[in-house]
Amino acid sequence: MSRVNDSNNFLSIGKSLPRKEDRRLLTGQGRYLDDIQVAGELHACFVRSPYQHALILAIDTEAAEAAPEVVAVVTGKDLAEWTTTHRMAPPIDGLLPIEMTALPADKVRFHGDPVACIVATDRYLAEDASELVEVDYEPLDPVCDMFKAMEDGAPLIEKDMGTNLISHQTFETGNILHVMESAGRVVESTFSTPRQTPLPIETRGCIAEWDEGTQHLTVHVGNQAPHPYRSALAGRLKLKETQVTVIVPDVGGGFGQKIALYREELTIAALARHLKRPVRWREDRMENLLAASHAREDFVRTRAAVDANGRITGLTLELVEDFGAYCFFPANYLARVVAVILTGPYDIGEYAFDVKVVLTNKCGNGPMRAPMAITSWVMEGTIDNIARELGLDPVQVRRLNMVADDAYPHVMATGETMEDINPGAALERGLEAIGYADFRRRQEADREHGIYRGLGICSVVESTTYGSKFYKAAGIPGSGHECAWVKVDPSGTIRASAGVMATGQGYETSFSQAVAEGLGVNPQDVDIKLGNTDIAPYGMGSRGARGGTAGGGTLYLAATGVREKALAIAAKLLGLNTAYQLTMRDGRVCRLIDDDIQETDLTLADIARTAYLDPTRLPDGMEPGLEVTRAYDPPPMTYSNSCHFCEVVVDVPTGAVEISRYVVVENCGNVLNPQIVEGQQLGAIVMGLSGSLFEQVVYDESGYNQTGLLADYLVATASDMPNIEILSVATPNRRTPIGLKGMAEGGVMGSIGAISNAVSDALSPFGAVVENHPISPSRLRLMLREKT
Amino acid sequence: MKPAPFTYHDAQSLEEALALLAEHGDEAKLIAGGQSLVAMMNLRLAQPGHLIDINGIAGLDGIERDGESLLIGALACHADIAGSDLVREACPILADAAGHIGQYAIRQRGTIGGSLSHADPAAEWPLMAILMDAKIEIAQPSGDRRTVEGADFIQSIYTTDLGPDEVLTRVRFPCVERDEGWAFKSFARRRGDYFIVAVGATLALDGAGRVSRLRLALGGMEVTAIRLVEIEQEAIGNTPDGDWIEHIAAAARGAGEPADDQHADAEYRRELACVLVTDALAEALNRSGRG
Amino acid sequence: MDKVAFRLNVNGMDHDVLAEPRKLLSDAIREDIGLTGTHVGCEHGVCGACTVLIDGKPQRACLVFAIQAQGQAITTIENVTGEDGGYSPLQQALHEEHGLQCGFCTPGIVVTMEAYLKENPDPSERDIRDVLSGNLCRCTGYQSIVKAVQKAARRMRGEDTEVA
Repeated sequence: MSRVNDSNNFLSIGKSLPRKEDRRLLTGQGRYLDDIQVAGELHACFVRSPYQHALILAIDTEAAEAAPEVVAVVTGKDLAEWTTTHRMAPPIDGLLPIEMTALPADKVRFHGDPVACIVATDRYLAEDASELVEVDYEPLDPVCDMFKAMEDGAPLIEKDMGTNLISHQTFETGNILHVMESAGRVVESTFSTPRQTPLPIETRGCIAEWDEGTQHLTVHVGNQAPHPYRSALAGRLKLKETQVTVIVPDVGGGFGQKIALYREELTIAALARHLKRPVRWREDRMENLLAASHAREDFVRTRAAVDANGRITGLTLELVEDFGAYCFFPANYLARVVAVILTGPYDIGEYAFDVKVVLTNKCGNGPMRAPMAITSWVMEGTIDNIARELGLDPVQVRRLNMVADDAYPHVMATGETMEDINPGAALERGLEAIGYADFRRRQEADREHGIYRGLGICSVVESTTYGSKFYKAAGIPGSGHECAWVKVDPSGTIRASAGVMATGQGYETSFSQAVAEGLGVNPQDVDIKLGNTDIAPYGMGSRGARGGTAGGGTLYLAATGVREKALAIAAKLLGLNTAYQLTMRDGRVCRLIDDDIQETDLTLADIARTAYLDPTRLPDGMEPGLEVTRAYDPPPMTYSNSCHFCEVVVDVPTGAVEISRYVVVENCGNVLNPQIVEGQQLGAIVMGLSGSLFEQVVYDESGYNQTGLLADYLVATASDMPNIEILSVATPNRRTPIGLKGMAEGGVMGSIGAISNAVSDALSPFGAVVENHPISPSRLRLMLREKT
Repeated sequence: MKPAPFTYHDAQSLEEALALLAEHGDEAKLIAGGQSLVAMMNLRLAQPGHLIDINGIAGLDGIERDGESLLIGALACHADIAGSDLVREACPILADAAGHIGQYAIRQRGTIGGSLSHADPAAEWPLMAILMDAKIEIAQPSGDRRTVEGADFIQSIYTTDLGPDEVLTRVRFPCVERDEGWAFKSFARRRGDYFIVAVGATLALDGAGRVSRLRLALGGMEVTAIRLVEIEQEAIGNTPDGDWIEHIAAAARGAGEPADDQHADAEYRRELACVLVTDALAEALNRSGRG
Repeated sequence: MDKVAFRLNVNGMDHDVLAEPRKLLSDAIREDIGLTGTHVGCEHGVCGACTVLIDGKPQRACLVFAIQAQGQAITTIENVTGEDGGYSPLQQALHEEHGLQCGFCTPGIVVTMEAYLKENPDPSERDIRDVLSGNLCRCTGYQSIVKAVQKAARRMRGEDTEVA
């Protein structure tokens, strides 16, 4: 198709259509999980461990069972009869297998581990009864520090594993050892992000209904990937997949926390089946902070071999990640991406990594918007350290080491191919926008007056979409393909669906644009139906910034399929030999005559009516109906790039950091809906800034989680965040339909690096460098005290 | 996170509230705005068997001037105090501090009486009560009233002089004098958070521009806010200038015995005390007759 | 503990409620009255999602017991509309400026800002951010919400509706 990738010719995509979702969400008519009521439903709550590591000797549920309106009290022993044990054992080098039951029957592994579930007619009464469950624990020594967890003799999270080092992966290029040994200078840098949590404003939860007559389970749950979730749930309950329907209503944010099948949800589903009554569970905020998947917590060290000009001749990475006590995902998968794409836009031929993932007595980790969030900070912080040590301008060091924009596709040392990106252009465009030379003059002048300004630059090459070939190459089970259908009903109305599910990304709007573009209709006339596994085709869900390219791209392809069929019918109805000169505009068949477009009397509704109700008029051999299902496997990876510029003023006496300006230059290809994309970019940047400045799950030395309330787990408010200026140097991806790339995670990667580098730049007169987050005022003061 | 059961009593008069307290003793808890209490009840950290709602008692939310005093009823909410012209005129530091409490919606319901009774060490009202020598008026079971000095009322973290059978009814603050400077400075991780350290100061000068009265209190350095009485007394007769401010700020740095917590270590609190006292005195001086 | 009968006035209508005294206003509005636009995000008064108006003032419904709200006028998101029954100026501006994504925090923000713009029709950006700091949003980064509130305020003042 000639018009693919030429954004000038798009009629529906690339336009900032206001969102279709807004009407219901702005008026209080949204339907989130808790807004669904099921007749006869019961309410569940969980009893959770106050210990971080302890044997469960006995659980006395008698008093709780006798409490008013209590229907059931169950423990891990009950669940073991109704559910299978999950074995996480993908064929990945260096990764040890691990098993997990629905609820622990042997021992608890972190503060907040669920040990019993109460079902009552009312949530208040369920919580009353939960106080009556008596658990006899035998405390074990906990291990809450990932480095101690790797020591000989450390308490073991999984005894049978014989170690807490669940994954250890290494890589090196042929000449790296020699380069490092013979280097004139090696610059060493360290970086560490603390444990964080995705914190969707709507917590987790589910409603499970068992239909005894049809032996069918329906689960309502906020989830980003309904079909893989259904597969997991059916498997764990020993049901056929056809016996399970997963329905996802409006979702109040996910950010990676609503992908896996969690133990609590499995428990609720098993209980609904056992009790033959609907059961609902709404996680409360304290549970969400203590026991819904955490994220990050890593320590990184780089060593860069450099020459006197700052040219990097070799780079090594050590990464250790604290994965907590349970694996809802392969333990290597988050950290591995960091190691694979670390070098980003820089031409670094000799490279090695050593990535360890460790189990500890903390809540299990999972993805959080940009699982590889630390990547860009590590690379760009390393570059800034090189510049500081060699007395060079950090921009010059970047320019010197960057792959030239016209040298893409570029193959990284790890074998990943990056293409259709322009980090050089993004850097230069941003430098111009902020007025780099002028900034350095202001910085110098203001220091005389005790005003410490800093500028942080962070180039990001964002891995997005993740096609099946990437999964295969990384040894990760699963697939990166997506599936979609587009159906035109006999009346001419248009429905479309795909396997991805929105948690706020506005798919109902942007996907309608993709379908409209492919089919030749108005986006307002396309209804997007997502999130019901009986309706949507089996797809891999929303994660890894793949919604637009995988979801939107597949829908576009399905829509073009419908258009081709529709136009073939149109040709027949118009008495033409071929549809070659026909096209569809706003639901009407048009003829292309030279450069002129002439409307015909024929509409999509006419064609649909014929396709369904008058099939004898169809071209010979054509099937009745007007619908197409397509599956599409995107490239192994689509790369987007951006360059972030953060200006700060550090109040040296108090350690307070004020963001005085934030500019980002983005290249995320062609976009379905620019306003929605901008919203994603702003949200991602702020999530990164919030994490860098405020967020930290705090376990005390004995492993007790001290951040169970929002008064303790701090996230950025409106008063703490800047306005962000977004500039674009977009170029389309050459391989994807419509030239799409992903973009929803790079903002996190870039802002983490930009703010950290900015604060280090501001404090450079003191020789202080940010190596840990959050960049809290007291931590900055501690750093400054140590330097003076 | 659902509260434990309780019996609800909607007291319509002070007498009724006192009678209910007398009847239910330790089982009972008063609720005014409930902005701390209900959160603690939802977490089941507080499980009163009887909840006595005093919001229906008429006349407990007034703000009025009585000569050289400002009288603020226990049920006056932070937003009303922050927005009161009378408070801005008579004792503006109170309006300023009230405007720093929590978030907009919290300020609409949280009350001065509730905040003082809760006695969070990082809250604004206990600091103001100690700074301004507030007189806390308390209704006793007998119906008699007693009055306690702010510094005596706030005893420790979450601990006050208020008996389990008593009701805090009103707070009496002295009005600041004409030309008396004042400043409230606080430092929190985010807007609306409980402060790490806060400073309240008032500064009156005599005709010669020398200090005639300094009030200076620090929050966040101890389990309660502390009044820097020795510094205040030494300051009398001094000429307030940059050196003077520096001298006092340095002395304030050593005040109290701050502790380490998640948001700040003790040394950081000392540093903040020094910075905030410097800022507060400079601003108070600026607002004083001389400024 | 026994349930007690009381009456709540929500969006101008009286509702008879039979609930335990401990029932939170947020739960009563959602479960007993059936208005689910008021969302529950933290139940300890921090996130702001459950904010409703009580006698015109924004308050956390999770920090009030339903029984306490007898005799007061409660307003929820379901009662926020424009003069023509469509969007209010604030809702319209949020729609235009993409001031919501997942929408879970949105009702609390709309209700809070509707009240605030009546109190202060001409707020500075700093004022808006200050008030908005009581509502956590994890999706938008706040910027587009702030822009929308500014736009709505301009329109409500009858000023130029063009966005700068």
